[in-house]
Amino acid sequence: MNANRFLACLFACLVIPVAAQQSLESAYRTTGSAVVAAFEGPRSVLQTSSAVISDGRKEAGYGVVISPDGHILTKASEVLEVKSLNVTVDRTKYDDVKILMIDPTWDVALLKVEASGLVPVDFAPTSAVPQGSWVVANGATSRTSRRLLAGIVSAKIREIPAAGGAVLGVTLNPKSEVLEIADVNEKSGAKEAGLQKGDVILSINGKKVENIKEVGEALKDKKAGSMVKLTYRRDTVKTTLDVRLSVRGEMYAEQVSRNDQMSGDFSPRRSGFPRVMQHDILGNRKVQGGPLLDLDGHCIGMNIARANRAESFAIPVEDLKELSARLMKQSGN
Amino acid sequence: MMKFRLILTVLALLPWCAFAGDGRLYVNDKKAPDSRKDLEVIQSALEKALPQARAATVCIEISEGSGTGVIVSPEGLVLTAAHVSSGVKKKVTVILEDGTRLKAETLGLVADKDAAMLQITEKGTYPFVDLDRDAKTQLGDWVFALGHSGGFDKERGSVVRLGRLVRIADSTFQSDCMLIGGDSGGPLFDLSGKLIGIHSRVGQQLQVNMHVPMDEFIANWDGMVAGEFIGEGPYAQLPVKGTGFLGLATESRPEGGLRVTKVGNKSPAEGAGIKEGDIILKLNGTELESRQQMQDLLKEMSAGDEVTLATERDGKSETLTLNLGER
Repeated sequence: MNANRFLACLFACLVIPVAAQQSLESAYRTTGSAVVAAFEGPRSVLQTSSAVISDGRKEAGYGVVISPDGHILTKASEVLEVKSLNVTVDRTKYDDVKILMIDPTWDVALLKVEASGLVPVDFAPTSAVPQGSWVVANGATSRTSRRLLAGIVSAKIREIPAAGGAVLGVTLNPKSEVLEIADVNEKSGAKEAGLQKGDVILSINGKKVENIKEVGEALKDKKAGSMVKLTYRRDTVKTTLDVRLSVRGEMYAEQVSRNDQMSGDFSPRRSGFPRVMQHDILGNRKVQGGPLLDLDGHCIGMNIARANRAESFAIPVEDLKELSARLMKQSGN
Repeated sequence: MMKFRLILTVLALLPWCAFAGDGRLYVNDKKAPDSRKDLEVIQSALEKALPQARAATVCIEISEGSGTGVIVSPEGLVLTAAHVSSGVKKKVTVILEDGTRLKAETLGLVADKDAAMLQITEKGTYPFVDLDRDAKTQLGDWVFALGHSGGFDKERGSVVRLGRLVRIADSTFQSDCMLIGGDSGGPLFDLSGKLIGIHSRVGQQLQVNMHVPMDEFIANWDGMVAGEFIGEGPYAQLPVKGTGFLGLATESRPEGGLRVTKVGNKSPAEGAGIKEGDIILKLNGTELESRQQMQDLLKEMSAGDEVTLATERDGKSETLTLNLGER
């Protein structure tokens, strides 16, 4: 806006104040500094009980502090892509970070840093708060200070089924008369289990499979992240092992829809969750993994995916507590 | 310059404060909430307004996709966007929050303002919301949006988003309630639950979300109820006569009616199940005597229009309804 037009605008303001300056300054918008300042209570919880997950000096995500001695939950699929992993809680940076456990169903990783005296989040009694309730999550961060974004609970708690279904993550050779693997996806459970090109799939959960349709039948009602017993033949050796099922849409590029085009930087893994609560906080894939707080600063969930322009998902506190206890136990704590 | 702007904003606030008594929440007149109490006032107003607002919010299924609308009378008058209804007297399906599917027909629209109406044609008493008729809404007011983002999802329900009115210009409200495809035509409410706008379009930036103010609906209310196509584009295009086709070839019969000699591949006629050898006796109630007569009738219609054909096959008569394809 040039100087003349600005003056003209000022003039109009003086004459008819109500028709004035019909644009709200950014500080007073929902994500603006003046509005966000009203949430200082929950913000101070983010300062002490959320973790910044970084790749070198770049933010890669956030985490939930769950023990005084440095156990932190975060979004697994974002952390696994990090090359130079370090974690900051409050003002302290930790360079020695261990990935103790991964839960593929919820896409959650348990991290450990060498620390003492951290302040774990205070879990809220229930995630069943009315729609329209305020919630707060990590926004950007500076070296010393956590910022926040606020929004509301915006839809019913529910399951988000795997986009495209739950799959092994292998491509089969269409010319072969048997179920011969032509390719194993790098991010798949099949890769983790050690399946290779040339292996022949014989049965799934004890049921013989002979064609692609029967494989589809065997996996039809399975959930992403769950395990199946797969029997395969390599050369002459038959082996049975557990294979984690993956979200199809996570491994094979989903068709980009018009809604995706208008959604900015959403989470690649945004489906295949047993239960989520939904909120309208304006985030992106880089601010997932941290706690979702209520006005009291209690943790009512953990941010797990930015699904699109209008929808963000969090793991509800009941599931988060159960998951947290299970991962701690499995890691030997 | 900043100093000027700040002072002016305070001045501008003065007359508003004086009118804060008529059910208008005081938080709307604060530049920003600055206490937990302020936040709770916004939250409890929203929670109170939400059930009725949600009950009146409907998903609209049209042949090309889905949008949202909101019921504004107990008889089932629905407001939506012109780019959702996309035409006058079109058959659409309306889905209530509980999954109930209802037949509806589009009424009039304002093509240059993105405003439209439709009517649920099944008898009933429907949940509805009140309009803000006094245009009391002001810049900075807290507002909430509802919509069937990405289409109807019974498990999820319609999605609510909270924001502020951040810009008022050119018969448009801009809010920071983030909208996405499927929300189009959905309602924007003030904190008392009054309808203040209808979702229209978004900008590239996530915070840029546009709504048509109620003013535009009220100014064109009678015309829309009467089924008029008001204004010219860009949100809806007037149907062009002669653009529709059935996709069949016929020959006249001396005893009246037309014999189908060919049915086009993937044509509307094929979709309706018409086969070679069928006899077409009537088109929209008019008895057919010649090919030219049928062509003249079709020339007066447009792509998408509904056509009723009285046909006969092996002596058995049947009535078919289909929509004309686009030439």
